[in-house]
Amino acid sequence: MTSPRVILVEDESLVALMMEDLLAELGCEVVASFSALGPALAWLEAQAAGPDGALLDVNLGGEMVFPLAEALQVRGVPFAFATGYGALPDGRFTDAPLINKPVDPRKLGPVVAQFGARL
Amino acid sequence: MSEQAIRVDGDIGAIDAAQDPLFTLVEAIEDLSLARTVEQVAAVVRSAARRITGADGVAFVLREGDQCWYLDEDAIGPLWKGLRFPMSACISGWAMLNGKTAVIPDIYLDPRIPHDAYRPTFVKSLVMTPVRPKDPIAAIGAYWSTRRQPTQDEVAKLQIMARATATALENALMYVSLTEALERRKFLLRELDHRCKNTLAAVQSIADQTLRRSASPEDFAEAFNGRLGALSQAHELLTREGWGKARLAEVLDAALGGFGGVDGVRVKAGGPAVELTPETSVAMHMAFHELAVNAAKYGALSTPDGRLDIRWTIDLAEAERKLELIWLERGGPPVAPPVRQGFGARLLERGIGRELGGAAALAYERSGLRFTLKAPLSARLALA
Repeated sequence: MTSPRVILVEDESLVALMMEDLLAELGCEVVASFSALGPALAWLEAQAAGPDGALLDVNLGGEMVFPLAEALQVRGVPFAFATGYGALPDGRFTDAPLINKPVDPRKLGPVVAQFGARL
Repeated sequence: MSEQAIRVDGDIGAIDAAQDPLFTLVEAIEDLSLARTVEQVAAVVRSAARRITGADGVAFVLREGDQCWYLDEDAIGPLWKGLRFPMSACISGWAMLNGKTAVIPDIYLDPRIPHDAYRPTFVKSLVMTPVRPKDPIAAIGAYWSTRRQPTQDEVAKLQIMARATATALENALMYVSLTEALERRKFLLRELDHRCKNTLAAVQSIADQTLRRSASPEDFAEAFNGRLGALSQAHELLTREGWGKARLAEVLDAALGGFGGVDGVRVKAGGPAVELTPETSVAMHMAFHELAVNAAKYGALSTPDGRLDIRWTIDLAEAERKLELIWLERGGPPVAPPVRQGFGARLLERGIGRELGGAAALAYERSGLRFTLKAPLSARLALA
């Protein structure tokens, strides 16, 4: 079985290291990991084929991740949010799973399974 | 008839209320008591003041520092709505600066009037009265299209209107600032919750990473407590800075505090003033903590002769300005590369490089450890 190719966007280094571990343990290959919106958007633009999934922090040091979520949506890439906010502002992207921080690793499993379902 | 207007209460149709200035004034005062914004106050004042004085136009002017802002007007022809003038260059400014009412029967004979600004308008005579004469916050102007001496009665009515306006305006300003304060409090609570959860996620990560690499519960406890302490210190520094930007030198000072600090002898540090965002300063603090723990256990800070030198520079000549930071240990025990990458090494090489969009590397030189960080200046990392 091929492992899902996943990108991570998380502005806090400490949290990112753990997320990368958790994703790897769930059988994902973390192909790229970003701390800011700009580089993540640029990376996605440059890809011929998008990743199989994305795990997105919502607030990246004051910058919202939504433009990336929109770009992923256009490409049909499933994504989930991991956030310290209880809910997304303005009720956006209601279809995307929302994982609360601190992260319960058991909740990450079904999300990753969804990433892998396309393979 | 005026007394009757108040007494009838509910049977206003009995008199021609709209024509009665006192009734208009009472009604205006009632409306003013309900006004919650400066704009609402202005809207009440402009129409009420015009009806009470019988003027051809009324303007409501707000003081904004050294400017008069013509906020609203009700007139037979356009005046200056929305425009701002220096306090020294208009009659409303004169009225507010002097705390006095200006009564001008012929504006073209009065040197206080900027005639050019009036030529396009219908105005030939006016009364301008300050709101709260002791410390004026606004002014009300009444204008006529003919040269005429405004009557004492008209002046008095406008002044009464101004007095009623003062309280309403103060209330509106207070209401607005209270509403803003409440909004700010809501925002802060939400941010606090967000940061709290992010910090818990950071603690979760530290626990997880430390656990994966600990040989025993004792090992875990020692490393985890040290890291928790560093995280707590990092937040303390941020709180001191009002959760704004922190200087790299301060972060370093705080992170090395528990290890003898930057004393200028054993530990030297220096470089240009660089500012870090809150998130980045927490990450850097944690990174320096890992380096310091390692130095105290195995490196230059484990022996009296060891020296630690931390230098950072920014090459201003380069097109893309980059920070280069070097942590250099010398004089400690001979260094050997570790058997496997620990949490500290991973945070330093992977985490910090990722955080700053740069490159970070640990070199286990035999004479001492060298950590090099090269990162472009960015919103996270900027010259102060």
